[in-house]
Amino acid sequence: MLGANLVWGTALLYIALLFLVAYYADQRQKAGRSITANPAVYSLSIAVYATSWTYYGSVGKAATTGMDFLPIYLGPTLTAFSWWFLLKKIVRISKENNITSIADFISSRYGRSQWLGAIITVITLMGIMPYIALQLRAVSTSFTIITGYQDLHSSLTRGIQIASPHPGLFTALLLAVFSVLFGARHLVSAERHEGLVAAIALESIVKLVAMLSVGIFITYGVFDGVSDLFTRMNRSDPALLARLTTLDGSGENSYSSMCSLLVLSMGAVMLLPRQFQVMVLENAQESHLNSAAWRFPAYLFLINLFIMPIALAGILLTGSSAGADYFVLTLPMQQGHPWLALVAFLGGFSASAGMVMVESVAVSTMLLNHVLMPVVVRFKPRGWFPFLLINLKRLGIALVILLGYLYQSIVGESYMLANMGLVSFSAAIQFAPALIGGLYWPRGNKKGAIAGLLLGFAVWSYTLLFPSLMQAGQWHTDILLNGPFGLALFKPQALFGLTGLDPWTHALFWSMFLNISAYLALSIMYGQEEKEKEQVAKFVQVFAPENGTPHWETKRLSKPVTIVQFVNLMSKFIGEPQAHAAISDYLGEREIDGKGGVSEFELPNLKRFVEKTLAASLGGAAAGAVLESFLSDIGSRMESVYDIFSTVRTSRDQSREALFVRLRASEIMNRSLELDIIMEDLLALLLREFKLDLCVIRLLNDQGVLQVRSHKGEGGERITAEDRILEIDTHVGEAFLGRRTEFFNDTTYITKPIAKEIFRREGIKSFAHIPISSEGSPPVGILSVFSRSIIGLFTEQFVELLESLAGQLAQAVRIVAEREAREGERRQKEAALLENARVTRDLELAKQIQLSLLPESPPRLPGLDIACRCTPATHVGGDYYDFFQRGDDLVDFVMADVSGHSVGAALIMVETRSVLRAQMQSVRSNKEILRVLNDLLYDDLTRAELFITMFCGKYDGATRTLSYANAGHTRPLLFRGGKWQELDAEGLILGVEHDVLFEEKSLRLETGDLLFVYTDGIIEAERGSGELFGVERLCDLLSGMLDQEPERIIERVMAEVTAFSSPSPLQDDISMVVMKVVKNGAKSVSC
Amino acid sequence: MNRIKEGVIRRLKLKDSWAICFVLGLVMMNYPFISIFNKPILPFGIPLLYLYLLFGWLFSIFIIYLFSRAAAKDSDTGGRP
Repeated sequence: MLGANLVWGTALLYIALLFLVAYYADQRQKAGRSITANPAVYSLSIAVYATSWTYYGSVGKAATTGMDFLPIYLGPTLTAFSWWFLLKKIVRISKENNITSIADFISSRYGRSQWLGAIITVITLMGIMPYIALQLRAVSTSFTIITGYQDLHSSLTRGIQIASPHPGLFTALLLAVFSVLFGARHLVSAERHEGLVAAIALESIVKLVAMLSVGIFITYGVFDGVSDLFTRMNRSDPALLARLTTLDGSGENSYSSMCSLLVLSMGAVMLLPRQFQVMVLENAQESHLNSAAWRFPAYLFLINLFIMPIALAGILLTGSSAGADYFVLTLPMQQGHPWLALVAFLGGFSASAGMVMVESVAVSTMLLNHVLMPVVVRFKPRGWFPFLLINLKRLGIALVILLGYLYQSIVGESYMLANMGLVSFSAAIQFAPALIGGLYWPRGNKKGAIAGLLLGFAVWSYTLLFPSLMQAGQWHTDILLNGPFGLALFKPQALFGLTGLDPWTHALFWSMFLNISAYLALSIMYGQEEKEKEQVAKFVQVFAPENGTPHWETKRLSKPVTIVQFVNLMSKFIGEPQAHAAISDYLGEREIDGKGGVSEFELPNLKRFVEKTLAASLGGAAAGAVLESFLSDIGSRMESVYDIFSTVRTSRDQSREALFVRLRASEIMNRSLELDIIMEDLLALLLREFKLDLCVIRLLNDQGVLQVRSHKGEGGERITAEDRILEIDTHVGEAFLGRRTEFFNDTTYITKPIAKEIFRREGIKSFAHIPISSEGSPPVGILSVFSRSIIGLFTEQFVELLESLAGQLAQAVRIVAEREAREGERRQKEAALLENARVTRDLELAKQIQLSLLPESPPRLPGLDIACRCTPATHVGGDYYDFFQRGDDLVDFVMADVSGHSVGAALIMVETRSVLRAQMQSVRSNKEILRVLNDLLYDDLTRAELFITMFCGKYDGATRTLSYANAGHTRPLLFRGGKWQELDAEGLILGVEHDVLFEEKSLRLETGDLLFVYTDGIIEAERGSGELFGVERLCDLLSGMLDQEPERIIERVMAEVTAFSSPSPLQDDISMVVMKVVKNGAKSVSC
Repeated sequence: MNRIKEGVIRRLKLKDSWAICFVLGLVMMNYPFISIFNKPILPFGIPLLYLYLLFGWLFSIFIIYLFSRAAAKDSDTGGRP
């Protein structure tokens, strides 16, 4: 026996050590250099699975029923095979959704159901009672054994006469205090409690060391090894050994009990609240799972290594298996090593304390988040809420432990420790179908989960909890024997006549049967709600890689909420600084508009983020409720966006639908060249596919006004009849000037008064104005679409589609405009060419006429050599000369030049010739001829704005007299004896004035004289340098050719002038009449 | 020895091998397999069943160890979860 004070003191010292370690770990976490975030500590913390059940209870079970203590630890080893994906999945999901407990996990999966969370919490609370009871009992009993006193008695209280009412109360109180201190310092339950984890890890080490030391001592100290123990046992009581170490066919320690214990422990290692807490919530890195997968089973192996030997040693040393639970303590004491017993006591105490601390914190969190919060949330959040919440959590911890204590005081002595633990295991396994189904079966739904859980829980209570209470108490035990009201079919431990099984297998079978059946049946029969469907993806497909298709939002908030409002809400629950920090984190990359809100498409995400943040402190279901009530207070709610693509085709692929519409639109654009047809067809497509009510296309015209070019749909005269000016007061203007889509999903919230009025009158519920523009260019118009029936029509995806269509339309408009411009250009060119051709043709015509006027050959006259030539220019010249022979010796000749190069000029010349010929019928003098001509032609010349220069001459061969008159014509040249003179006579050019008098001159010619009559085409021939041929040059040229034939002279002159003006062609006609006076008789004519 | 180890580890990467080991473990811990060892004989002075379970346990832990090494390599190279 050890002194109570010694034991007491050791225990307290040990607690103090735990505190130190926890504190140190917390400090290191704050400094960022965590000591618990490594695989070894993680694995040790999971070893909280080994409680005083392992410590004391296993020995007891081994000594009484035998091998079936082992499957409790084999099960977790088996599940470790699945950790690297099952547990990993759970961990990933929990981190992403800020899960706070297993109730949170399961209820989150099934649509954040508050009912489910509450049910799980209640089941857990009831189920954990036996487990905590067993820890409390273990501590107090071991204390009693080691000191001989009841409970944690001390020399202090002896004097105070406090009758310790029940064994274990002090223990309970002590553990409650420690649990509160370790686990309920702040509210955020999704954070990792590094101090707690460190303390548990230390405890695991202590447990193992203590167990191993007792084991080694007994096996190798008292006996001679393991085989020695077995051999001795075999010798003393072979039957017992056989019973203990082999399995029976049925009942306890049978195949079936092995199997069911295996299954129970496989579930419990993950589903017990404390296990979920340390394995999932306290996990620092997913990679730790890999090493924990083998370290944890190795730990279990080590700690179980000496269980059987100790049990057998106890039987051998004490003679029976009474009190086998505490062999670990009694044997060392019996062998005279109380210090070892103290170590063992500490080990057991450590095991119990660890379990109670973590379990009570975990369950209290669940209580708070799923049972209390839904109630609290119904009240308006106040400033003292955080304070209230943290104290509720502490109260919860105390409550859990108290309940355990109550159970223990009722059931206490009548049950073996291990069996109490198995009751709890059987409760925990009820969560398995809902959890596994939730992770891997997308169809599992809330109703199924609730039904399964309720049924399983009912079976559990009836077959296990109930009998445990009754067996312990002095209640009617004949229910156990004969069933309620004598109905043997409902015997709690042989339901429906299923006999021959140990209680655990029996309970497991029936509860799982009903649980799973109900879960499957209701999940198949009923569908899932919206919320559930959202959650399914997050759970079942948490590992699905992000594929390229963007995640389209399917929800919208009916009334916009600002960021400030959200922050205020959050501060009420988690405090202002944390709320601000969370919001700035979130907003880091997102844009805020001027009014402190985010774009309409971002709002649902913001709401989800706020919900998630609150869930870290309140639990998922409560956070959801808070947001719901908040939004409804504001007057907004989450509604589904209109799934416009479901109206297009029956297929479900939205992006394919969008593609389809785009393709149709492209077809329309390319099918026709008429912009009007394109616009009409496009609007018809929109109207038809998306069931819009009205669509309008406005294009910018030359005056800078948006003019309606096309519209389809009913009504909306006021909208379609009016043009829109580019001003910011209208939505259309805003869209155009801002170059972005203006849309409103609910017209009740727009602020522009005129627009509001229009929409109210037309009954428009939602609309969008999309600028028609291609990349980088200014818009050319606006596409407007209206709906009279649907709110929330314009989702992000739909707006994108409309913008893409508008872009295509912009292309079409541009193409059409370009094409029209090219058309115009082409037509212009054609007209110009045509004009050109006509002009050329006219000129050709004129040239033809002109040439037809000239005489073919000059007349023959004795003593006169005449040569004549007319070389027309590229442009019409208008030169004319004619000869009139009167008898053998008389000849009249005329040379004229019309101004202007046109058909009109040529025709004037025809007229002149006719008039001249007519006049030449009668004999007149030259000046007479000119005067008559002037009179006759004046009117026509004036009307045509043309003039004629003319030289008129008569030559009498008999007298060799030349008489002439000149009406402004180029003065003919006369060459005589090496000298030349110009023949001039006064007179105006024809067509200038009405009555003009002309001068007549006459002259006697001699042999050898050369008369050169020409038009100004010669002297006005231009060189490239601008130099004119000029009279001088002509005379010089002619002077050198006086002895030549007139024909030769003409040719020479022609050649010279052509050479002079080359390479340019001659601009004006060149006409020459050359007359050489020769001796009589020498006739030669050529022309 | 290392090569063998590497080879085994690579084989174990298959996602299905976990299922095989799991089922195998279940089978080997239950009736009827376990009835093979359910005899009151004591090889080395230790009951057969006890021996069987303990060694089976140890062996399973070793397999898990290999698995965890394989899984660690998997995640190193960014393999499937």
